[in-house]
Amino acid sequence: MGYRNESPAAPVNNLSDYVIQVENVSKTFQTSDDDKVGALENVSLDIRHGEFVTVVGPSGCGKSTLIKLIAGLVGLSAGRIICQGEEVRGLNTKVGYVPQESKLFPWLTVEENVAFGLDSKPYSKQERKERVRHFIQLAGLAGFEKRYPSQLSGGMAKRASIVRALAYDPTVILMDEPFGPLDAQTRMILQDELLKIWEQKRQTIIFVTHDLVEAVALADRVIVMTHRPGRIRDVITVPMTRPRNIFEIHRQAGFDEAHARLWNIFRHELNVRDNGANPAAEE
Amino acid sequence: MSSMCGTTAPTRQLKSDMSTDRQSQIRRTPTLSQPGWRRNLKIHAIRIFIVGGFFLLWEVASGRWIEAFLISSPSKIWKAFLQAFQSGELINNTWVTFQEIGIGFPIGALTGIWTGYIFGRSKALADIFEPIIIALYGVPRTALAPLFIVWLGIGIWSKVGVVFILVFFLNFFNTYAGMKQLDQEFVDLARLMGANRWRLSFRVILPAVSPYIITGFKTSIPFSVIGAITGEFIAATEGLGYYIRAAAGVFRTADVFVGIAVLMFIVILMNKVADLIERRVLRWQTQTESVQVQG
Repeated sequence: MGYRNESPAAPVNNLSDYVIQVENVSKTFQTSDDDKVGALENVSLDIRHGEFVTVVGPSGCGKSTLIKLIAGLVGLSAGRIICQGEEVRGLNTKVGYVPQESKLFPWLTVEENVAFGLDSKPYSKQERKERVRHFIQLAGLAGFEKRYPSQLSGGMAKRASIVRALAYDPTVILMDEPFGPLDAQTRMILQDELLKIWEQKRQTIIFVTHDLVEAVALADRVIVMTHRPGRIRDVITVPMTRPRNIFEIHRQAGFDEAHARLWNIFRHELNVRDNGANPAAEE
Repeated sequence: MSSMCGTTAPTRQLKSDMSTDRQSQIRRTPTLSQPGWRRNLKIHAIRIFIVGGFFLLWEVASGRWIEAFLISSPSKIWKAFLQAFQSGELINNTWVTFQEIGIGFPIGALTGIWTGYIFGRSKALADIFEPIIIALYGVPRTALAPLFIVWLGIGIWSKVGVVFILVFFLNFFNTYAGMKQLDQEFVDLARLMGANRWRLSFRVILPAVSPYIITGFKTSIPFSVIGAITGEFIAATEGLGYYIRAAAGVFRTADVFVGIAVLMFIVILMNKVADLIERRVLRWQTQTESVQVQG
């Protein structure tokens, strides 16, 4: 059941509008000689330029696999992924990737970390310096340029990790539960900062999370995935206006409906799993 | 010689103990804390007192409680040192040993690190050669010294060979162990950010593995000296090992101690250089992880 969702406003014919096109992608992992685990099954998805898309689903639904496939870090079993009109084969250097943990290079300073992606791009020395300065400022890390990651707090490291991915201007930023391990307050502050940064840059973001509130609060569209093997269960368009106030997101018009819709699907999804109607779900 | 192998670890231990001690003391009693230099001075004074006391005891014991030809004495060793130094004998022999280490050590360390890196990067190579290298590792490498003499003669090249083989394996194994621990996500991230092969190696992989590389490098320092001396013990016409063995053969114990003292000095010197390199390479680490593959 290929599920291609185009939100009503999308100009369906104009393919160049899509920065990422996932077409009937499946991924199975070989666990042993004749044992296969389906991680993704027949996933289709189009993402427009400048869109903020979140992907939610129960753990083990292959949402991380999906963005690893888009990044070309993992090879796909069937289907194809097109990034800016080109099929992804091997590593996709058009994307920026923010992993679950910050994964700053601990042997490089904050400055060198942020500059890492710039070196392979045709920036002049001056431009490069200017960009690094700008993004460090954006992350609120001015004054910490010469620090090593081990000397940063968790939140600072996270921000540095995000601007490292933004700094070299990739077409798409992939984020794999970047705020997962943080405490609630830090999380909210970072969500707020992420939105502020994004509103300036409007790069396309695909953001994986298991937090429904986060999914709705950040996104233009929320992709809901089923339990393993991952399929796209539904796509919800979030009608909230921007800029959004993360700290009072519940009061914003549109949040409740979107969240309720999402929760309905999710609850149903969890029930399906409990009834054992989906045999693949029994690990 | 076994005391020489141990010199690095205990001094480092002591240093770190001292610094933590000092910090906790400052925190506990800020008013009573002493300035750093004064405390350092005290530590140095106690150390000099202990070492001085030991030499004094040695001097007194020699010839009184223990036969002088067995343990010599500090004053005789000093005299022997001056004599050997003035005759040029000591300098010549030291220079020979120094050359053996100076050639064998860097080549062994670099090829060891390089091989460890290559094996870590290529699964095929690792699969083919790993069992072979582990089998070779099982051979006590100093036992290969006579073979090197057979192959390369009794000049410096056989000792360079022994130094090389000892140093190579320690560096190889530590680097390879580090490569196995390498976080693939760092590599993936760097490649996504467009890092080419060169940047990937020198800006990402080698720095990531550098704590392991440094450990191997530092561990191999005393072993390089052991290698050179073992080679010279077996067959040589010059070098500190030859000098020590020749002196021991005719019970010139003082000269034996002179040779040992010079060897100690070489190890200390090499450790100092290694410390400088370590501080430079690992300055991003707040604490040096204790990772080690023993040789």
